[in-house]
Amino acid sequence: MRSLLSFFAFLFVAAVSAISTTGDRLLVVLDDVTEKAGYSRFFGDLESRGFKLTFETPKSETLALFRLGERAYDHVIVFPSKAKGLGPNLTPNILLDFLNANGNILVTLSSGSTAPNSLVTFLAELDIQLPTERTGLVVDHFNYDSATASDTHDVLVLSPPGSVRPEIKNFFSAGAPADQLLAFPHGMGASLGHGELLAPILRAPRTAYSYNPKEQAEVVDDLFGAGEQLALVSTVQARNSARFALIGSVEMLQDSWFGAEVKKIGATKAVKTFNREFAKRVSGWTFQETGVLRVNWIEHHLNEKSALNESNPAIYRIKNDVTYTISLSEWSWDAWTAFTVPTNDVLQLEFSMLSPFHRVALGFDPSHSTPEAAAYTASIKLPDQHGIFNFKVNYKRPFLTNIEEKNTVSVRHMAHDEWPRSFAISGAWPWIAGIGATVAGWVGFVALWMYSAPPALEKKETKKTQ
Amino acid sequence: MHFSQPITSALLLVAAGLAQAASSWSFDEGSLLITAKKGSDTVKEKLNAKSPLSKPIALGSTDTLKVTFTAKDNGKGKRPHQAFVILKEQDSGLEAPFPLTLKENGKAVVQIPQKEIPVNLLLSDKPLKASIVIASFGSAMGFNAPAFDVEITTDPNVAPPQYEKPVRYGKKPEIHHTFRADPQSPPKVVSLIFALAVVATVPALFIGWLVLGANVNHLTKAIGAAPLSHATFFGSIVAMEFVFFMYYTSWNLFQVLPVIGVVSVVTILSGTKALGEVQSRRLAGER
Repeated sequence: MRSLLSFFAFLFVAAVSAISTTGDRLLVVLDDVTEKAGYSRFFGDLESRGFKLTFETPKSETLALFRLGERAYDHVIVFPSKAKGLGPNLTPNILLDFLNANGNILVTLSSGSTAPNSLVTFLAELDIQLPTERTGLVVDHFNYDSATASDTHDVLVLSPPGSVRPEIKNFFSAGAPADQLLAFPHGMGASLGHGELLAPILRAPRTAYSYNPKEQAEVVDDLFGAGEQLALVSTVQARNSARFALIGSVEMLQDSWFGAEVKKIGATKAVKTFNREFAKRVSGWTFQETGVLRVNWIEHHLNEKSALNESNPAIYRIKNDVTYTISLSEWSWDAWTAFTVPTNDVLQLEFSMLSPFHRVALGFDPSHSTPEAAAYTASIKLPDQHGIFNFKVNYKRPFLTNIEEKNTVSVRHMAHDEWPRSFAISGAWPWIAGIGATVAGWVGFVALWMYSAPPALEKKETKKTQ
Repeated sequence: MHFSQPITSALLLVAAGLAQAASSWSFDEGSLLITAKKGSDTVKEKLNAKSPLSKPIALGSTDTLKVTFTAKDNGKGKRPHQAFVILKEQDSGLEAPFPLTLKENGKAVVQIPQKEIPVNLLLSDKPLKASIVIASFGSAMGFNAPAFDVEITTDPNVAPPQYEKPVRYGKKPEIHHTFRADPQSPPKVVSLIFALAVVATVPALFIGWLVLGANVNHLTKAIGAAPLSHATFFGSIVAMEFVFFMYYTSWNLFQVLPVIGVVSVVTILSGTKALGEVQSRRLAGER
């Protein structure tokens, strides 16, 4: 019933320009519901993309992320709270359960308020460290906005971020106008752990650093982080592809910064901020509107002349030539499109029993692709080991949904009549000749024994009797 | 004297402009020391804000790198908020900042023993590039310039520090299964020679028999005595060999067995008659 309702809801909101693949119920947690006026453009953008926003305070009694064991919301945005904790309905365990139930969370911080304890515990669970004292301010004396922060240097002006590695698709600054800059006002930087699930979007510039304005105003005695080790906007994608993003500065989402003009120190003219588009892209990624992959179908078949053209057989033979094709689509804001693997990156097929026997690259196959689904294919020769094998496509990349597809097939050994015939084996010729010689000798012996007359013996006998 | 009014105001403006532009951080009395554990300073260099040192400095495993300078804002010693020595690894671009301890008059000092440098920088095979960053709040321009190069020398007796690269999602190395070699035959010439040797035994056998007096003299007599039986019997012997030949080339067991059954029955039935005829010749003393 729920899926039927959501199907009709999907049809209805398909008319809107963008939509999330996992649902449209968005919960915004703020201390003071009147604050939302300062973010009207951000919330307006979210609503125009089809989200149904609900505003609650953390200590509200009607706030519940789960209802009768199911998620009551699909996405949550947490704004900075002045309280020491986020209340009994947003404990770290509940937030983790929400991620495990495929809910997405966007958390914002501000240097002006201390992060609640429960939030710090939750972030520590995801291997994201905040400064001790749970408050910090990122400043950069070389990249600040000379219009608003000429003395305090706490409004960072950065160029839209490129990808951390060349093979990662650039979701957040692709197509950005060359002269627009990102403003990061009064924000907190975080330090990310080493895990593969974490990926920073925006890192602090080399000369930036974080300090505690209350205690370290004169001298920085204990440095929390500096340079590119400070992540200003960071993300975690769980193994079930639920997404979490941490934006260090909630002010960069404010209306005043969406339409502002910033002038970097040392620059001659003021430029517009990229904040609105960046906020759209970060929230779009977090709420599963971009970077969502889907496997449409998988097909494997025997690629030999005598094959019966059967799709996805359950059993193969050793040393068979097999072709495997997988079709992938990518959801980009409002439609499924063909997924193109980034250059420098490959989609790999593994053929493995306990460990991979083959790991080969899947190449784009135009004959099975459509504009909405791209097919990737590879042909392999099955190993000469019989057993139960798996076709595995394990494609996990930062910012893309985790793809893990496993198809199990049996691989049997050669049947007795699939070996080469003995007359084709040159080493067998002496033995075949031997058989022929035996047959000839036998037939000759039979003829001889049946139809021969004894040789003459009389002369000997007469000699003996004498 | 009435000319001096606009001139002095112009001069004042120019002076103000110069003062504005000249408000920037720098450092003076910079020095770099390498202190060995034993206590003696092995290397001592002067650091210049305008140009970096030309030769790299070697830092041993028990040595400490000590950088001191006096931070100056516009020539006056002042305490900046940020004074870092940043070590950068050239291949990966990773940087490690080391904040300096600052006094009110701008004197800054930092001691960097080799063990405090992060492992991935220590394992670099190129020298680390060190730059000095001095900046603070306000309008004074910050100072950020390369200062010197550090070469890490490790103690050859001590095992190098282990660094495990963190797992990152990405493409994995390709694997191709190496197949076992197909079973091989010896060269065809060798097989042919031995096959010929085997085949040559057949005429050798027949010739041997002929030498020993083999003949088929009683053939006409046998056929005259029991023509059908002998023909059928000998035919079925040959037919049996033919069945074996068909089994070798195309038939399967379930096709061969019925035929063998039929041929065997024929052999037995005709054989009793044919071999009876042979017995009669034996009893007549002709064999």
